[in-house]
Amino acid sequence: MTESTPAVPAEEPVVIEVERPWREVWRMFRANRAAVAGLVTLLLIVLVTVLGPFVYPVDPFAAAGPLLLPPGEQGFLLGTDQQGRDLVIGLLYGSQSTLTVGAAAAAITITIGILFGALAGYYRGWVEEVLMRITEFFQVLPPLLLAMVVVLLFSPSIYSISIAIGVVSWPATARLVRAEFLRLRELDFVKAERAIGARNARIIWTIILPNAAPPLIVSAALSVGIAILFEAGLAFLQLSDPNVMSWGYLISVNRPQILEAWWPVTFPGLAIFITVLSVSLIGDGLNDAFNPKLRQR
Amino acid sequence: MLRKFGLAALAATVAAGAATAVTADTPKKGGTLVMVSSQVPRHFNPAVQSGIATMAPGAHIFATLVRADANWKIHPYLAKSWTTSADGKSVTFKLRTDATFHDGKPVTSADVKFSIETQKANHPFKTSLGAVTGVETPDAHTVVVKLKHPHPALTLAMSTSIVPIIPKHVYGDGQNPKTHPRNIKNVVGSGAYILKEYKRAQYILLERNPNYFLKGRPYMDRIIYKIIRDSSSRVIAMERGEGSLQPFMSEVASIARLKKDKDLVVTDKGYAGIGPNTWLAFNTKEGPTSDVRVRQAIAYAIDRAFITKELHRGVSTPSTGPIVPGSPFYTKEVETYDLNLKKAEALLEEAGHKKKADGTRLELTIDYLPAVPDVQQRIAEYARAQLKKVGIKVTVRNSPDFPTWAKRISNWQFDMTMDLPFNWGDPVIGVHRSYLCNNIKKGVIWSNTQQYCNPKVDQLLEAAGKETDQAKRRALYVEFQQILAQELPVYWISVLPYHTAYDKNLGNPPVGIWGIVSPMDDIYWKKQPK
Repeated sequence: MTESTPAVPAEEPVVIEVERPWREVWRMFRANRAAVAGLVTLLLIVLVTVLGPFVYPVDPFAAAGPLLLPPGEQGFLLGTDQQGRDLVIGLLYGSQSTLTVGAAAAAITITIGILFGALAGYYRGWVEEVLMRITEFFQVLPPLLLAMVVVLLFSPSIYSISIAIGVVSWPATARLVRAEFLRLRELDFVKAERAIGARNARIIWTIILPNAAPPLIVSAALSVGIAILFEAGLAFLQLSDPNVMSWGYLISVNRPQILEAWWPVTFPGLAIFITVLSVSLIGDGLNDAFNPKLRQR
Repeated sequence: MLRKFGLAALAATVAAGAATAVTADTPKKGGTLVMVSSQVPRHFNPAVQSGIATMAPGAHIFATLVRADANWKIHPYLAKSWTTSADGKSVTFKLRTDATFHDGKPVTSADVKFSIETQKANHPFKTSLGAVTGVETPDAHTVVVKLKHPHPALTLAMSTSIVPIIPKHVYGDGQNPKTHPRNIKNVVGSGAYILKEYKRAQYILLERNPNYFLKGRPYMDRIIYKIIRDSSSRVIAMERGEGSLQPFMSEVASIARLKKDKDLVVTDKGYAGIGPNTWLAFNTKEGPTSDVRVRQAIAYAIDRAFITKELHRGVSTPSTGPIVPGSPFYTKEVETYDLNLKKAEALLEEAGHKKKADGTRLELTIDYLPAVPDVQQRIAEYARAQLKKVGIKVTVRNSPDFPTWAKRISNWQFDMTMDLPFNWGDPVIGVHRSYLCNNIKKGVIWSNTQQYCNPKVDQLLEAAGKETDQAKRRALYVEFQQILAQELPVYWISVLPYHTAYDKNLGNPPVGIWGIVSPMDDIYWKKQPK
């Protein structure tokens, strides 16, 4: 084999930068300042979420002071809500469910999306027909309405809400994965793999999928943001577990008082905004970093 | 003060004439009253349908035999006078001879008989005319109502659209009165206003009845119910003067906001008859709440004063028993369970609920009626935080819609639930149903879903339902309230903060015991709005 290898022109020993791909991605990502800011913000939010309950081990639903106290008064940094609950505590504990649902729903989205997309894109034929019609069926249903129905079928809990959001947002991922598989399955290295008799499962999971990873990772990052928005939306419609503190819940219960007390609605809203923004910035940064065309910059 | 409205007393009041409140100003004619409302009626025939949505416009369209003022006093309306027989088992009404329906046909005893029979057969408030055995019509303008036993609440029930007089020549055509096409189109009554137009979920247009039997009335040319579903939009409509009267406000923030508007008057008067009671009901048959000590402990841990003063910012008043304070039968001589966390813990200890390592003694669930957060969800959440202090871990269960909640509660699948049933004037109509042994009906919401049963209470209620002597009747209800406050099938929390906001230029606003569920033929503009 070695003899037949086309000779690399000896006089021009190109030193291929043996930078490992992931390191390269990281370098590109780092160069994107907005993405780094997003990453730092998200890490901070995660840190606060994890440590918060240890620093303040209290019941987030318990009244801590007078009702609707403006921010800064009587030592309440962000004020209190309509039940006299400290908004700082509410935000701290609320981020748990918000982030959990965001991550879990994104995981479900990606899992279903990969499964449908990979099988449809790889096998084609009737498998693709069936799977893509199912995907289209889910795609034409309005996602928020469908999520509401799913949550209503089971009682609202972190699990049912994660599943609901996951179930309504996978079609886009499935289409993306299918497109990648359609492209990759015709490439030489895949054909070579097939030629040496690799089993389909091996080709799908260990050959094609890793090569389809970059757009998938970007899509996963973005779907976390979408899931957080969905969760807040459902909580706003009173479709959340009322025994679990969340940002959407805080907005929902305090909304009737918004004309006279802006803070119990504004701060959870800002928290959602900042979280979703930072997740989106990260997604954007990853997209740039993975994109080979931009890599030449 | 105890107001008299027992049957025996009524005959004496007949001479009072048709006048309601006497005002200093002379009412002026003309103008349009725009009411802002959230209620969407299914139709306009209150003889077969309860609920404010139908009953309020129904009370303007259909006249009733008698009417009530702000002091529970009953006055003549379609009936000129009425007398009760010595045994209390028959009541004779003499009708006015000049009353006509909107289509020009006279109102006769046949219509009254037909109305009473239709109501009795179809209306959900079974006890309102439950004692009626028959109606006799010796002549065109005399009606004799025969009763199984004396029915002291008869005229009160007849003083609002619980018993409207509907035309026999329209509804007596053999069609099912519940689905009769004339319930919604071409509605004919004998009241002060005529239904001109109804755009579903948008507006109801009522116009002055020029042939109304009370000469000179009504003063308004038109009443419009403007239906706005969103509470903030209703408030803004009132502030901008697009509406001049908003009844049944229960949102604390809206009430507080409109109170600041100097062009409006905001009052909690007009709901004494309706008697909205917010309460925490217990499952008295199953689970930890079947133990009266647990129920009492919960009562001691929940602070009514906090709920009415802080959560409701003083716009609601504490409710201490099954009968609301506006009723002449109310007594405050009951156990009130003022906040006492120590006592609550002692009672739980006594009931055998020892503190576990994590500080909890027992676990319970709490449900609440959706869509009215200030008087339901917020109290449920407050209760959860309070009960945690005494070691009760409470899980709040929310219901996405009314049927979900109603199904759970009426099938007794709950520990505790918030609820807001109405008294509907007389205890016989709105109170008995929640506590009688024979009203424990699986699957029926607003029956005795607590499944509370005490033969002594049944006896008291049965006696009170027939007693015509007002003082004796009150004594029976007082004892009833005291027993219930001890046994707590329900922990009564507050009289709902229902408020009415109205333009300060309106004369004779609807502040009687039935509020807007009344003829509204005396409301007028002191000064026409621009």
